[in-house]
Amino acid sequence: MSVPAFRWRTVPREALAWRDWDGDFVVRNHLSGSTHLLGPLAGQVMLALLALDDPATVDDLAAALEAPAAVQASDWTASIEGVLAEFERLGLALPEMR
Amino acid sequence: MIVADLPPVELARQLAGPGVRLRTGPVVTEIRSRLSEVAQGLALHYAHHSVETTADFADFHVSVAPPATLRKWVRPQVLFELDGKPPFLPLPRDQAFPLLEWGLNWCVSNHCHQYLIVHAAVVARSGRAALLPGPSGSGKSTLCAALVNRGWVLLSDELTLIEPVTGNVVALPRPVSLKNASIEVIRGAFPRAVLGPVVYDTTKGSVAHMKPPAEGVCCALEPAQPRWIILPRYEAGAASRLSRLPKGRAFMQLADNSFNYSLHGRKGFAALAQTIDACDCHEFTYGALDDAMAVFDELARNA
Repeated sequence: MSVPAFRWRTVPREALAWRDWDGDFVVRNHLSGSTHLLGPLAGQVMLALLALDDPATVDDLAAALEAPAAVQASDWTASIEGVLAEFERLGLALPEMR
Repeated sequence: MIVADLPPVELARQLAGPGVRLRTGPVVTEIRSRLSEVAQGLALHYAHHSVETTADFADFHVSVAPPATLRKWVRPQVLFELDGKPPFLPLPRDQAFPLLEWGLNWCVSNHCHQYLIVHAAVVARSGRAALLPGPSGSGKSTLCAALVNRGWVLLSDELTLIEPVTGNVVALPRPVSLKNASIEVIRGAFPRAVLGPVVYDTTKGSVAHMKPPAEGVCCALEPAQPRWIILPRYEAGAASRLSRLPKGRAFMQLADNSFNYSLHGRKGFAALAQTIDACDCHEFTYGALDDAMAVFDELARNA
C-alpha cells in the first residue's frame, strides 16, 4: 500500500481549535480531547490541509509547501508522509482512497 | 471583620463550635477544629483575611480533627474532612496546619471549575501578573516568597485562577508553602518575613508557611491581567538567566500544569490561548535571590 494513493483531510474543522504563534503551532482535537504541539513542518502541513477545501494527496501538499533549498523532492515527500502518518495516529487527519 | 479582630480565645471558641468562615479571594471556607495548631496557624497566617460573619453560604465546610480511633496519645493523628468525608489518609498531629493548607488547595483545585486552574504561583505588580508554573522543587515558591517580600503582590503561591471570559487572574492569597532549604533561604534573605513553625518529616520534607504580607492580602482584591509566564528553575550557583520561551511550548506547559484544562474543553483552549497572547513567555534559571529580584524588577519597569 502506498501512501500517495490516498487523499488526506483533517477531521472536521469544527472539531479542531488551533493557534499558530510564529510557526509554533498548537492544535486541540475536540473529538479526542487531546492538545498537541506541532513541529514547524507539521504545523505547515496542518495549515495547508485546513486551507484546502478538498482532500489533498501527499504530492499536492509537497507542491503547496515550499521545500527547504537543500532538501531533495523525494525526501520532502517522505517527510510529509511521515507527518501525515503521525496525524492519522493522533486522530487529526484521515486518509481517503482516491 | 478580619481574623486579627478575633481574640485568640474567641477564635478557638468559634473554630471548636460553629466554625470560622474565612474568605480567601473568591472562596469562603467554613473551618472547624478543636486543635490548637489550627487556631494558632490561622491566627498567624490569616490575620489580615476577612471573616464572613453575615454570609449564610460557604463554598466549603471543612474540619481538621483527630480521627475516630484510639490513637489519641500514642503518635496522635489528624484528619482533614470536607463535608464530613476525608479525601486523604490521616497525618501526624504536628502536621495539622499543613494538612489544612493542603486540604484547602485540594478543595479549590477539585471544585472551583468556574476558573481555569493552573498549578502555578502568581504575583503581580501594578495590576500585571507573572505566572510561575512549575513542579515541586523548581523553586517557584521560593521565588514567589522573595517577590512578595520585595513589593510584588501575592495572588497565589500554588493555584492560579484564570477567569475564562476576561482572562484575568483572580487572587487567592494564602500562606506561601516553603520547603526544605528554601525555609532558611527566605528567613535569611528577609528577616522580617513571618514564618510559622517548621514541620518536619512530611511527605514533602520539612515545611513552613510564610504569612502573606498584609498589603498583598488587601491589594489582591482586584483581578490582575496576565503579563508574563515564567518557568523558574533553581540551580545552585547559577547566574540569573532569562530566555525566551516559544509560545506554543508555554501553552503546553500551562496546559500540563492545569488541573482542569481538559474539563473546560473548547473554552479552556480559548482561555489558555488568550493568556498566552497576553504574555511574554520566558524560562528563568536562577541561583541567587538578589539577582533574580533584579530581573523581575527590570521586567516590571519595561512592562
